[in-house]
Amino acid sequence: MIVVDEYLAIRSLLGDVPVGLPDEPLALTASAHWRLLQRIHSPSGGQLSQALATLSSAGRDVLRRPAPAVLEVLDPRPLLDEAAQIAARYGRTGLLNAETAAGLAHGRQLWFGTERNIGIRLREIAVDLGSEVHVAA
Amino acid sequence: MTTTGKDLLEEFRRQRLAGDPRLTDADKEILRRITTGDLSDEFADSLVSISDADPLLGGGFDPDDD
Repeated sequence: MIVVDEYLAIRSLLGDVPVGLPDEPLALTASAHWRLLQRIHSPSGGQLSQALATLSSAGRDVLRRPAPAVLEVLDPRPLLDEAAQIAARYGRTGLLNAETAAGLAHGRQLWFGTERNIGIRLREIAVDLGSEVHVAA
Repeated sequence: MTTTGKDLLEEFRRQRLAGDPRLTDADKEILRRITTGDLSDEFADSLVSISDADPLLGGGFDPDDD
């Protein structure tokens, strides 16, 4: 299983998996899904929000409840203790990074859809944990 | 692994790679704009702003502060 960011999660739902992404089941952490859901349910008034508002009801539901056969949203509960340990060890990680790193401990690979989505802190933690961080084309 | 098992795994793989069939063509166009098109930078900015606005999520607090 590969842990992906919001970009690759959406692309997987489109059936648009980038070349180079390993042929394995994909998973999104609950905190990353939370960010995506925040974007859907709290429009900011920009072009992005206007575009999201034009999604069909079924389209919104795909983002709200992804088909597990395509994209799994990781249950955060089994990851919480490891995430808390990571947060305590590295400090100032936030749940997003800590949960992602805890997911990495199982998935070993983290794939992003854009370089901009990789925080310096997460990259440092991933390297320290011996996990791989990739950016898909 | 039996042929049945292989066929089943291949069916799971095919479903995974096909994406979610509930998306319409119009939905797909919108989501492409967000992930790889003209709205991708705005999407990245919005994700950062969501994390920045929520210290629990983004890590803005100091764990030494009780």
